[in-house]
Amino acid sequence: MSDKLQNIINKQQNQSNPEVTNIEDIVQLVGFVVGDEEYSVPILTIQEIIKPIEWTRVPQTPAYVLGVFNLRGSVIPLIDLRQKFGLNSINHTDDTRFIVIRHEDEVAGFVIDRLTEAIRLNKSAIGPAPETTLEGESMIEGVGKQQDRILTILKVHKLLERDF
Amino acid sequence: MEEFDEILQDFLVESFELIEQLDQDLVELETNPEDLELLNRIFRVAHTVKGASSFLNFDVLTHLTHHMENILNMARHGDIVISSDIMDVILESIDLMKAILENIRDNGNDQGIDVADCVVRLDKVAGGDGNVEHPDVVAPKEDVATPAEEVSDEAEDVDYSNMSDDEVEAEIERLLKERQAQDRAKREAKIAAGEEVPQAPEIAEEDSEKESKQEPKPEPKPEPVKSTPAPARPKPKPKDKEQNEKRSATTVEQTIRVDVKRLDHLMNLIGELVLGKNRLMKINEDVEERYEGEEFLEELNQVVSIVSLVTTDLQIAVMKTRMLPIGKVFNKFPRMIRDLSRELNKQIELEIGGEETELDKSIVEEIGDPLVHIIRNSCDHGIETPDVRIAAGKPEVGTIQLKAYNEGNHIVIQITDDGKGLDVDVLKSKSLEKGVISEKEADSMSDKEAFALIFRPGLSTAAEVTNVSGRGVGMDVVKTNIEKLNGIIDIESEVGVGTTINLKIPLTLAIIQALLVGVQEEYYAIPLASVLETVRITKDEIYTVENRSVMRLREEVLSLVHIGDIFEVERVFDGAEHAYVVVLGLAESKIGLIVDSLVGQEEIVIKSLGEYLKGIEGIAGATIRGDGGVTLIVDVAALMQMAKSVKSSVNSESVVGSNVNEKTKPSDYCVMTVDDSKTDRTIMRTSLAPLGITLVEASDGVEALNILKSGEHNFDAMLIDIEMPRMDGYSLAAEIKKYNKYKNLPLIAVTSRTGKSDRMRGVEVGMVEYITKPYSPDYLMNVVKRNIKFTMEVSS
Repeated sequence: MSDKLQNIINKQQNQSNPEVTNIEDIVQLVGFVVGDEEYSVPILTIQEIIKPIEWTRVPQTPAYVLGVFNLRGSVIPLIDLRQKFGLNSINHTDDTRFIVIRHEDEVAGFVIDRLTEAIRLNKSAIGPAPETTLEGESMIEGVGKQQDRILTILKVHKLLERDF
Repeated sequence: MEEFDEILQDFLVESFELIEQLDQDLVELETNPEDLELLNRIFRVAHTVKGASSFLNFDVLTHLTHHMENILNMARHGDIVISSDIMDVILESIDLMKAILENIRDNGNDQGIDVADCVVRLDKVAGGDGNVEHPDVVAPKEDVATPAEEVSDEAEDVDYSNMSDDEVEAEIERLLKERQAQDRAKREAKIAAGEEVPQAPEIAEEDSEKESKQEPKPEPKPEPVKSTPAPARPKPKPKDKEQNEKRSATTVEQTIRVDVKRLDHLMNLIGELVLGKNRLMKINEDVEERYEGEEFLEELNQVVSIVSLVTTDLQIAVMKTRMLPIGKVFNKFPRMIRDLSRELNKQIELEIGGEETELDKSIVEEIGDPLVHIIRNSCDHGIETPDVRIAAGKPEVGTIQLKAYNEGNHIVIQITDDGKGLDVDVLKSKSLEKGVISEKEADSMSDKEAFALIFRPGLSTAAEVTNVSGRGVGMDVVKTNIEKLNGIIDIESEVGVGTTINLKIPLTLAIIQALLVGVQEEYYAIPLASVLETVRITKDEIYTVENRSVMRLREEVLSLVHIGDIFEVERVFDGAEHAYVVVLGLAESKIGLIVDSLVGQEEIVIKSLGEYLKGIEGIAGATIRGDGGVTLIVDVAALMQMAKSVKSSVNSESVVGSNVNEKTKPSDYCVMTVDDSKTDRTIMRTSLAPLGITLVEASDGVEALNILKSGEHNFDAMLIDIEMPRMDGYSLAAEIKKYNKYKNLPLIAVTSRTGKSDRMRGVEVGMVEYITKPYSPDYLMNVVKRNIKFTMEVSS
């Protein structure tokens, strides 16, 4: 019994050791899916994640701005990431969520297809954004590599920037 | 140093308040030069400012106020009579005093403003030879060589810091003695002059110079924050001296200075509370409907109404704390009129009324500029010169009336002059000349519309640009500011008789009354302040003139715009015979806004749309409704602008939705079956299977509605059971019929209820067929085929 316990403790230590190396080298992200791709934003920029609620259309805005919704008394813009990324909009499913992201004083809700998980990523596992032909600043902060998958880390301030 | 800052702040606040009062008093003094009480009051202001400024080491200011005090003192003793010329000098010195105070506020020192010239003139008036280097009244500190003295003063300052504690004590002792001697001499002079020494007890005044500054204010202004309702602004009246003294004692105790930020925060919290109240009332309504006749309802009702009542009272109370009498703005006008009339060589009298009318602080701040421009305009263009007036048979002295009064949730400010009035033809020809309007427009313009031309930028009726006006900017400012406040401008004018301008402004800005209107499935809130009236019209009352929709509203022609065109609302065909027109008025213009429905009036709290969506044209903000949804607030000013460029489609009926796609195969037809019993659904499915059409199933009304709303399928018909949990068939049908695009969707009741009244109810809610269970598969198939206009061969 105590052997087993010792084993477990050892195992845990081994597991946590590499992570303890330097806390500042770890980035915590929340992953989500829009269309066929997985994206992520730093966990600390997320104010909350809610199930879809009713919203009100705002005229004179691009199609990806769905409108505004009421989050406990605050009026917050709602942006459809599918349309923002040039995909067709689909009807909301049970997995659809609104991610409320805050950066400095800016807040907005983003519609995503589904959440994946919270991810801890070593900074060394994050590569720069791929060279793209996109002129100007791209929305991609970097690309995180995990064992079997690649996820795109988005620039939060770029997401919240009004571009119309 | 912190303490010094605090004293300085107090000093500034107090001084500005005193000066504001001073202006008014001085102008009054000119007409009433013998009024001793008035003189005393003015004297005390100069004295107070002087005392405080010498304590704070503002030598230039002290120097100036000293000479003012000197003259006023002489006038008080009857040594000189205040004539217009003397008044000019005094007023000039007060302007300088203001400038210095502003300088102190902004830069912390009183340097950079040259007072020497004015002081010399003051001195001359006082009977001196203008040689101020040897002033008759000895005051060692007040030397004309101020800059030099300032330097020496600073040197002294440095000295202080080097002194030991004892030395400082000694120095203070010495200064105090000096000051005391001065004060005593002054007091004796006052006693000799037969004037009672101001209430400050001797000891207090001797204690420190600071005390002299805290002398009870001779004429306490109404404090910004006031709990007493609508206190009449004390009009300077010579007789009620005693009353005034008494007031000063009580008002000081009853008011308290509060940072405006705190009040704003309070106002925000109240806003949240109002939203909560609205929501509570909505829930209460729902509960009432659901549990009709239950006992606890009454209790709930009581609580809800108490909460609602208290919230309303609280809101009013907080609003009141932010209210200021408009007299605060009116105060500066007597002085302005006086200066203008001298400058323009006209004789103008200003009559002020209703200065105790109260307005929200933020509005009081905004209203000053427009009023200045309107009054300057009246003086310059309205009132004629005395000889012209006499020739026209009018009294030599022109009159401008400035009046404020309450009207419902609004305050009306009325500016009337008895000048030459606005000449419509001149206005039109000027506008034509400047290219502001076209000839056609000029011809079709009503008088009111022509008057409104004065608000166009770049238009001035003045023959030449004077110092006072004529650049065609001022009235544009008026319009912009009043629009910002959601106010309405109304002009009446008659040539040769005069002009009246009415400004109608809402009392407060944060929580407003709004008219909720519906267009298709959306709702918008329109500030009630801008709504003049609502009318119901039929489609044929709408005419088209030059590609614009208009209607006749009594004597006027009102241009119309559909709210759906402005806000790009997806227009599903709407066959309604009637339309509602909300007549909007803002500043000087009017427009008719066509909406689908009027929902009602509601109290709303304005919330901003945030940084991301700010500046959306036509939207002033958003509010949260009782049901928790967000409703956008219409920006009436922007809407009027947008209306000009929106192409008219009021009468052009849009094509029926594109969901009438060509059906090529049986599965293109889509029918929803709604029944809570799985067996029944299966029976329906098997019955309809031979048709080969697409079937979607829902187990109750709520689910059915959600499927419908999701828009995944375009249904051609629906089979609805009546008895269902959550939402029954009747309610479902009623809900569906609320949507324009489903107006023509055939709803077929499939039920075991056979009563006549059941059938009637079905018809009432819009069901086209009524199938009673049990039914034969063929019968059901035929009914469905008929309703979906199914023309293909059945495969079976």
